[in-house]
Amino acid sequence: MTAFAAWLQDSALGVWTRESPSIWAYPTVLTLHTVGLGILVGANAVIDFRLLGFAPRLPIAALAPLYRFMWAGFVMNAVTGVMLFASDAAAKAVQPIFYVKLALIALALATTAMIRTSVARAETVRAAGAAPRATLGRFAALSLLLWAAAITAGRLMAYL
Amino acid sequence: MDGLVAWVESTPLSQGIVASRVIWPACEIVHFIGLTLVIGIAGFFDLRLMGFLKRVPVSAARDLMPLAIAGFLMNLLTGATFFIGKPHQYVGNVAWWAKMFCLLVAGLNAMFFETTVGARTLNLGAGDDTPRSAKIVGAVSLASWLGVLYWGRMLPYIGSAF
Repeated sequence: MTAFAAWLQDSALGVWTRESPSIWAYPTVLTLHTVGLGILVGANAVIDFRLLGFAPRLPIAALAPLYRFMWAGFVMNAVTGVMLFASDAAAKAVQPIFYVKLALIALALATTAMIRTSVARAETVRAAGAAPRATLGRFAALSLLLWAAAITAGRLMAYL
Repeated sequence: MDGLVAWVESTPLSQGIVASRVIWPACEIVHFIGLTLVIGIAGFFDLRLMGFLKRVPVSAARDLMPLAIAGFLMNLLTGATFFIGKPHQYVGNVAWWAKMFCLLVAGLNAMFFETTVGARTLNLGAGDDTPRSAKIVGAVSLASWLGVLYWGRMLPYIGSAF
């Protein structure tokens, strides 16, 4: 891992992101990472809070297009995240909080995917006349907690 | 302005914020969580005003707005903590003034919506398109909040703070 990190840090991508004096290098990559986070976690929050009982007049099925925004935000952050890691790979690769952040993102994504499938299933069930599942609210709370924890771990990378 | 900065930095509150190892990082974490609420919840309503997500009734999209306001208040409080801690980093920083300008535009735009366009928009149901005035208000809102985020993140790089 350390050999890979050293190679990545010295790669053209790592050097450019870290050393280019251009405003389009590190500052813009970092800003896009924050914009992507806002889109991904923000769109998630809309669905999660709705499932928790906020805005009951909001039709859940009509929120499905938000998953496209989440994908866009996730792709933005995967790309900018690789660039930010490459710029400082040797240090980040030995930072425990970085792996905590990655694990939290994986868990949050899994929860988000689970909610999406459950909502789709609940819509079908409700169309057949049954009541929606109450456990969705618990998944939504878990999703909000995991995404907030991922943001927390990301911020702490600057300190720990 | 220099007098104001010197006075703020002489207060025990300012010195306490800077001396603490926990307050600044904790406020940053809250600031980032607050920004996702503003961008996510207000952005969702802005998109509906712009004519996207048409299956959502406009007034139902607005029902989530108290959460965006909660996110804004989180960021107002933590942002004020940053400012009180290190005012010299901000008052001479062009990125900070650009951020404040975007905040002003977002605020005036929201007031404009509440006092004029809003009444004509909130009765729009699922499938209804929004009038051009609402589309403009939504686009200005989204652009100004993204501007707030952009200039905030650029504080260390354009205005050379920190």
